[in-house]
Amino acid sequence: MPANLLRRKWVVWVLLVAPGIWALWPLFRPSPSDADPLKSALLHLGLVAAILLAVVLTFSPLRVLWPKWDVAQALNRHRRLVGVAVFAYALLHVVAHTLHVYDGGFATLLKELQKPFQLTGLVAFAILFVLTVTSLDAAIRRLGGKRWKNLHRFVYLAAALTIYHQAAARKIFPLQVVWIFGPVLVLQAARWWRVRRNKTATA
Amino acid sequence: MLIRVPKSWELPESAATPESAYLLRPKPVVPRRDFLKTIGTGAAGLAAASLLPSSLRGATAGFPTKVNPAHRDPALKPTSYELITSYNNFYEFGTDKADPKPNSQGWKTEPWTVEIGGLINNPVKIDANDLVMKMGGVEQRVYRFRCVEAWSMVIPWDGFPLSKLIAFADPKPEAKFITFTTFNDPKNVPGQRRPALDWPYFEGLRLDEANHDLSFIATGIYGKPIPNQNGAPLRLVVPWKYGFKYGKSIVKIDFVAKQPRNTWQVMAANEYGFYANVNPTVDHPRWSQASERVIGEGGAFGRRQRTLMFNGYEKEVAALYKGMDLAKFY
Repeated sequence: MPANLLRRKWVVWVLLVAPGIWALWPLFRPSPSDADPLKSALLHLGLVAAILLAVVLTFSPLRVLWPKWDVAQALNRHRRLVGVAVFAYALLHVVAHTLHVYDGGFATLLKELQKPFQLTGLVAFAILFVLTVTSLDAAIRRLGGKRWKNLHRFVYLAAALTIYHQAAARKIFPLQVVWIFGPVLVLQAARWWRVRRNKTATA
Repeated sequence: MLIRVPKSWELPESAATPESAYLLRPKPVVPRRDFLKTIGTGAAGLAAASLLPSSLRGATAGFPTKVNPAHRDPALKPTSYELITSYNNFYEFGTDKADPKPNSQGWKTEPWTVEIGGLINNPVKIDANDLVMKMGGVEQRVYRFRCVEAWSMVIPWDGFPLSKLIAFADPKPEAKFITFTTFNDPKNVPGQRRPALDWPYFEGLRLDEANHDLSFIATGIYGKPIPNQNGAPLRLVVPWKYGFKYGKSIVKIDFVAKQPRNTWQVMAANEYGFYANVNPTVDHPRWSQASERVIGEGGAFGRRQRTLMFNGYEKEVAALYKGMDLAKFY
């Protein structure tokens, strides 16, 4: 049943768009009881982007580890869609942050971008941008499968930078980073181990 | 042609309170001068104070407060009581800024004893309300508040000058620094059961900083007893420094000879120093301090303003740091 639903594109669309509507909600409350609604929105958009990035990175290890599981098969149909959604949320996060820091000029923003906390976020965003642009069918054909695949492996670098960026965002280490990216690390490690074992078995 | 640009602090005529409403404002039941006489009688004074309307109380037991005109800059627009008391960094009650308000409701701050000790001639353990009476009651000062996270508020604090407490403690000549320790109550305070910070929270000032006229012990906000989430019942206020210097819910004040460490310095010395003076030219390692977000202004998209040197108190406090490299002593 969940696999049947997850196979449908519109279901995935709803799942991807819903957390974005929630993020915008505090901006349009008549009297903001939230002291800094734009900050809440930008943090939320960044959080959604990080979660979706972690989610999409679980798809292929799930398929390798449980190839006959219909949910894993259904999810793999939507890798590209979820990946583009990660970029969309990251873009909104960057736009909201720019509005938040804008103080009549961009000097503060540019100065801040040089700090490791913000630079890691920016580089991760740049990687996501390149991956999104090259996710079109035409780009895949042009690059060729092998080169395209190698290019898209940069998503792991983007994830590593995101982990640093998210951990550095708070004054003390936020445990949520572990909840979000821990499962990905476990699954990726299991996949790596499985693939290695299969290789030695066939050799 | 003469174009008159209104000053930022100018108010339109329409904003003035009508005289009829002004005359109807609540008046203290006990006039201030009589109140000062009454507090000499101890318990009777307390009883009289508790008869006051709640809007005029500035400490746990209720003390009439009076605006100190020297600290009421008309250019400063106080942040709403609602925002001041619902957007708080108080990790003892949770690390999200919305946590302290719900998590601190019902936590008992009365009775509250504060211990004043160290290198002084008059060490005491004293009830918070008795201390306020000894200090001659409370006054209201409107100060800028700047958080190290680059946001700001304007807060009407009720309380007494820290210099009065120092005079009362009577420090010995060896005393060069003063420290403020927050409560340690993991049984009743959820955040202290997790090692988020090195509990209890600990802050310190140089004695001359503490003796500066701006240094203040807050017992109230907007004439009401200071709520738990804002650091009831006694909180340090040093308006030219970042908010994390404002030790909350103080149980111990110690006079010492050597420069103490402070909690955030212990957590991350490269990010938070002992002085923590507001300085737009010295960045935090992760963000700029050149400007700040004004909480509660400009609607959803907010408003940012340039951060002022020493948070706008440069004229008053710059002399304390003469000849010091402020990028090194941040």
